[in-house]
Amino acid sequence: MSTTLKRVHGYLAEFDSVKDLYHAAEQVRDQGFQRWDCHSPFPIHGLDAAMGVKRSTLPWFVFFGGMAGTSTAFIMQSLTQSTFWSDMGMGFLEKIAETYPTVVQAKPTGFVTLPAFFPVMFELTILFSAFTVLFGLLAFIGLPRWNHPLFTSKRFEKFSDDGFFMSIEARDPKFSQEGTKSLLEKIGAKNIELVEDDI
Amino acid sequence: MSDHHVSFKDLPAGGEKFEPAKASKLIGLFGALGGLGILGSIYFFMNSATRPAFSYSWLFAIFFAFTFVCGGCFWILLHNASNSSWGVVIRRLFENLGMLAIPLGLLALPLLFEPVNKHLYEWMNHHRTAAAHATHDHTTVAEALHHMAEENPHLHPLVEKFGYLNNSTWFSWNVRFVAYFLILGFIAYSLRKKFLTQEQDGSIKHTISARQFACITLFPFALTVTFAAVDWLMSLDYLWFSTMWGVYIFAGCAWSSMAVMLLLVTYLRSLGYLQKVVTMEHYHLMGKLLFAFTVFWAYIAFSQYFLIWYANIPEETRFYFIRNSEGWRWVSIFIVIGHFIGPFVVLLSQPRKKNPKVICAVALWVIFMHLVDIYWNVVPERAPSLGVDSVLVAGAWIGDAVALCAVVGTLGYLYLRGLGSNSLYAWRDPRLIESINVKN
Repeated sequence: MSTTLKRVHGYLAEFDSVKDLYHAAEQVRDQGFQRWDCHSPFPIHGLDAAMGVKRSTLPWFVFFGGMAGTSTAFIMQSLTQSTFWSDMGMGFLEKIAETYPTVVQAKPTGFVTLPAFFPVMFELTILFSAFTVLFGLLAFIGLPRWNHPLFTSKRFEKFSDDGFFMSIEARDPKFSQEGTKSLLEKIGAKNIELVEDDI
Repeated sequence: MSDHHVSFKDLPAGGEKFEPAKASKLIGLFGALGGLGILGSIYFFMNSATRPAFSYSWLFAIFFAFTFVCGGCFWILLHNASNSSWGVVIRRLFENLGMLAIPLGLLALPLLFEPVNKHLYEWMNHHRTAAAHATHDHTTVAEALHHMAEENPHLHPLVEKFGYLNNSTWFSWNVRFVAYFLILGFIAYSLRKKFLTQEQDGSIKHTISARQFACITLFPFALTVTFAAVDWLMSLDYLWFSTMWGVYIFAGCAWSSMAVMLLLVTYLRSLGYLQKVVTMEHYHLMGKLLFAFTVFWAYIAFSQYFLIWYANIPEETRFYFIRNSEGWRWVSIFIVIGHFIGPFVVLLSQPRKKNPKVICAVALWVIFMHLVDIYWNVVPERAPSLGVDSVLVAGAWIGDAVALCAVVGTLGYLYLRGLGSNSLYAWRDPRLIESINVKN
């Protein structure tokens, strides 16, 4: 018998089918659980609504990330290649950024040069948005990480093949060792397992 | 969001039939506008003093309506070719929009005749002179034009463009003019017929044959939109050319017809139709497509402007030069903001696309901006072409409004009247249930 100290991560319950998991998720949602998740080998349509998942706030970050890209591109180009800022009455910027107006086909180098900056503004908007999406997403879902307590369960390996699981974490305020187990039994879970993690 | 799954049992057998009597106010309004507009148009056409300016008005109104018909054909073609299911419930409404091709062709007929198009297309007048020379000298029109170009070098581009821009071979402007309406009418009529037959026998083979038909006819459809745009608008100035022109017009077609569909669906729902079959998910999907084409239009419009601006070739820059001087400059800036930035920002967020009030306000705005866009494409050419030494031809806007009432009023009347002849949605389509319960 091992004497290693363990911490309870939560319950892992298996369900027979997508339908069972879906309806179970609705029940758990209605009970007001916060820290729980469903695991399935493929996306299930409408599961987000059944779980009561709220819309992510990530789009807002992406919006401002994209705006940052647009303005970075505009400021960098207008500062280094045009007389835009001097024309706007901010001639002192010339000393800092060393404005070097690029004359193309005898076109003026003031505000009217704006179309020439658009492609770069467009590209940087995309680039900054994409970076915000990727890194924001990683931060929101807590990646990268080395391991996850659920991986201690042998049965859980089926989640990438043919198993439908639900996990309820012990951190959830509604969690109780007896109550949650009986709830899971009531909503049709099979093979309920208490997942413990090495500290 | 209702999680209730709609099945065949919830739907009325035979689909929902639109009763024009319920929409008598709107139909009456369109009918009155159309009737008065046509009377006014006849007056403007008959009066030789107003005819030159009114020719442009008519072209503007016809082309405005033409973009919606093209959009209707495009969405049904795309829907069938891409084998999609989500839009089965609104596809019939687009089919009806495409069916307006033939009435629109009849309304467009004045443009075929010399008293009207001699004010619009300068190249036709040179060709007519050449044709007169050709009959006199017993040569061909091409050779006569060549002789004219030796004396007047400005006509040289017309000699070079003779293979396309002519009115004396089998591939002439007039022949193409008729062909465009026949192609669009054929597309809409064939697809509609397949689905109406399906309502009789319920066989899936019509869905499959519609897909094959759509894949094949997408190509002639693309050529129709492109060359119609080239023939009717680009050749207003025969020196001007832009390779993005067809795509630019196409982007406007798809954009504005989706906006019309949003308004129409909301209107039909307010009358009590489509309650069970169209959900907020459909609004969201249509809103997403509207958003996509907002961006697509901006991309094409900017690319066209950018290439011409950078290259700085006089024949090309003239288009933007007249639209960037005097009053038209403000219209150009307004289009940049109102056609792209405004709808872009509003449509960016998901809840706004799912809110019928917001999306309908956007759709109204989209149609208005599309109108401004077409106006901005056609009308700045009027004053210079008619030799008026001003930005606008004085009082010509009245003709523009009359022509718009005549064309839009008549077609709107025909559209709403025609809506009642069949079910509002394809009620025996094999993917109807899938479409009703769509989630995205």
